[in-house]
Amino acid sequence: MGTPSGLKDDCEALLSRFQEMDSVRFEDFAELWRSMKFGTIFCGRMRNLEKNTFTKEALTLAWRYFLPPYTFQIRVGALYLLYGLYNMQLCQPKQKIRVALKDWDEILKFQQDLINAQHFDAAYIFRKLRLDRAFHFTAMPKLLSYRMKKKMQRAEITEEFKDPNDRVLKLITSDVLEEMMNVHDHYQRMKHVISADKSNPEKSLDLIKDDFFDNIKNIVLEHQQWHKDRKKPPLKLKVKGGEEKSERNSQQSERCERAESLAKIKSKAFSVVAQASKSRRHRQVKVDVSDSESGQVQTKTTRKRKNKETLKPAGKKVSSRDRGKQFFLCS
Amino acid sequence: MAEDSRGDPACGGMDGRKDPVPSSGGFNFPEYEFPELNTQAFHVAAFGELWRGRLRGEEDLSLKDLPGGREVTDSGCEDAAVARDLGCSLETAAELRAVCGLDKLRCLEEGEDPEVIPENTDLVTLGVRKRLLKHREETLRIDRACRQETFAYEMESHAVGKKPENSADMIEEGELILSHREHKPYQTMLVLGSQKLTELRDSICCVSDLQIGGEFSNTPDQAPENISKDLYKSAFFYFEGTFYNDKRYPECRDLSRTIIEWSESHDRGYGKFQTAKMEDFTFNDLYIKVGFPYLYCHQGDCEHVVVITDIRLVHHDDCLDKTLYPLIIKKHWLWTRKCFVCKMFTARWVTNNDSFAPQDPCFFCDVCFRMLHYDAEGNKLGEFLAYPYVDPGTFN
Repeated sequence: MGTPSGLKDDCEALLSRFQEMDSVRFEDFAELWRSMKFGTIFCGRMRNLEKNTFTKEALTLAWRYFLPPYTFQIRVGALYLLYGLYNMQLCQPKQKIRVALKDWDEILKFQQDLINAQHFDAAYIFRKLRLDRAFHFTAMPKLLSYRMKKKMQRAEITEEFKDPNDRVLKLITSDVLEEMMNVHDHYQRMKHVISADKSNPEKSLDLIKDDFFDNIKNIVLEHQQWHKDRKKPPLKLKVKGGEEKSERNSQQSERCERAESLAKIKSKAFSVVAQASKSRRHRQVKVDVSDSESGQVQTKTTRKRKNKETLKPAGKKVSSRDRGKQFFLCS
Repeated sequence: MAEDSRGDPACGGMDGRKDPVPSSGGFNFPEYEFPELNTQAFHVAAFGELWRGRLRGEEDLSLKDLPGGREVTDSGCEDAAVARDLGCSLETAAELRAVCGLDKLRCLEEGEDPEVIPENTDLVTLGVRKRLLKHREETLRIDRACRQETFAYEMESHAVGKKPENSADMIEEGELILSHREHKPYQTMLVLGSQKLTELRDSICCVSDLQIGGEFSNTPDQAPENISKDLYKSAFFYFEGTFYNDKRYPECRDLSRTIIEWSESHDRGYGKFQTAKMEDFTFNDLYIKVGFPYLYCHQGDCEHVVVITDIRLVHHDDCLDKTLYPLIIKKHWLWTRKCFVCKMFTARWVTNNDSFAPQDPCFFCDVCFRMLHYDAEGNKLGEFLAYPYVDPGTFN
């Protein structure tokens, strides 16, 4: 039984919209879930057998996104998706989520990462699934019956959900930059040498902008910085109850050095940082430049963006409000 | 799929062992031998222990009923447990309970029928389903499950959640359930890790077991009581280089001996085969590959390919009555052959060289057979050969 048609599209639509939200909060996921009315995916007068089969397939599909090599955000989204599918299914008794032995340790590591990074809602949800006994502990992820299919259906990994390869950085490495600088200097010197006036090269030899190399260097450095900032995405942290969202925004618009260094300690290669902030500490010009990708990434969640204008570049001051935020500054 | 450094796949070279011994954890980690096809061989009980070791102390393995309904649970206690497990404050735990509640996932309003597809949906799945429903409405006069579907669903779910009356029959926590699929006749069975191979052997229904040998045209009333199952009791399972022969009765013979002798007579490229007694081994003792075809042979030459499709830990929602295992959960529905005359009853006799029959062979139910071939006193009329016939659909 293959995946029911359309199911993959729907799950990927949900996950990619969740990815665009740049959040790993369950609230955001739940809002997306409700807006897409994803729970109705079980509606439609399926008879018992079809209900069982469909639910099994849906859980298997969602499970795939929960394991590597998908990005952290997609994996958390998949966890929420599993939670939603498991609890909204219409089968009685509920169809379970199969987890193979070889994946279990990875799952536990993920759970520990969630706890360490204080993504308590995701950790809570995983814990709840376990307590509800939603899992079947199996040898292999799916039933194997030695079916020699003509075309082996390999699970295709959706490229957009993976951590992207940075081809730009691969192309313009520091070696290349250095070599370019050498060539450029050599070229300038040559121009000087062969010109009549030793101090100024011939105007007719101006075939290339003098600051060409500097421009490239700046552009590449900007790209690197953008990439680095993008990798530490601004994930909003849960704050104590009763806090208004707008309050949280304005606090996050300032960054203190301590938060920055704590963030560095806690962050891993691909996982997210507890302290969330949308502010940009680098040059103001970066914010103004309508860099389409980065702008898009940051501005999708409009309701969080009202304080973008009040961004203070390189905010070194520790605001009293930040100091009060023991929650995400604790080590 | 998971990138990890432990658990290198077993070499699979488990030949030359007499008694299966659980080896170190690394060798019993199920991994694909051929992707998507089957795993390498591993020891069942050791695999079970690997899982149980990881879940010990947690509630995952428990077979007890959950304390009635999560809503009833004392939220204060629950928050304390959450705070302890996640390392957060009690306040956060309470907030989590609110934020992650199931009500946040509800997409239907009160009173909305969960079976009706909402109008303005973007979901592709629902679009497909809606078209299918529409098509069914237009083309089918009566839209209901056919017999096969009902049968299949019943098979799958008839024992789910069953608890034994006698608590001694309760399955233990941490028991393994193997899903065992047999071909021709196609059926899937669940069997417990602690059960002996002989228990599975006894529960496999093959029509050849019921055959009654012999020609009975002259003595139709004396078809013997003995079916083949009683006469030819030998059988074996073949798993990973070992033939497990049924030796419970004195008449049981070692059917595998022929094969072993054949393989040893020349260098045929097979490793050394072992033999063992079926009744001495449970499934927990075996080394097997999940998804790999093995053999069950009985009646001398009736062979069935068997595949272990899945092994998992027992779950609270499974059938917990030990006595019901091996449990059939999937079975091929076979159309029974009906009597040629009345077309109503299942055929019980088959005739050859029959002057009364329009075709050779021809099938009759008991009543029609006697009416056609014998007179009122029971004398044989005409020339024919008659054999008792057992239809494969008998097991439906």
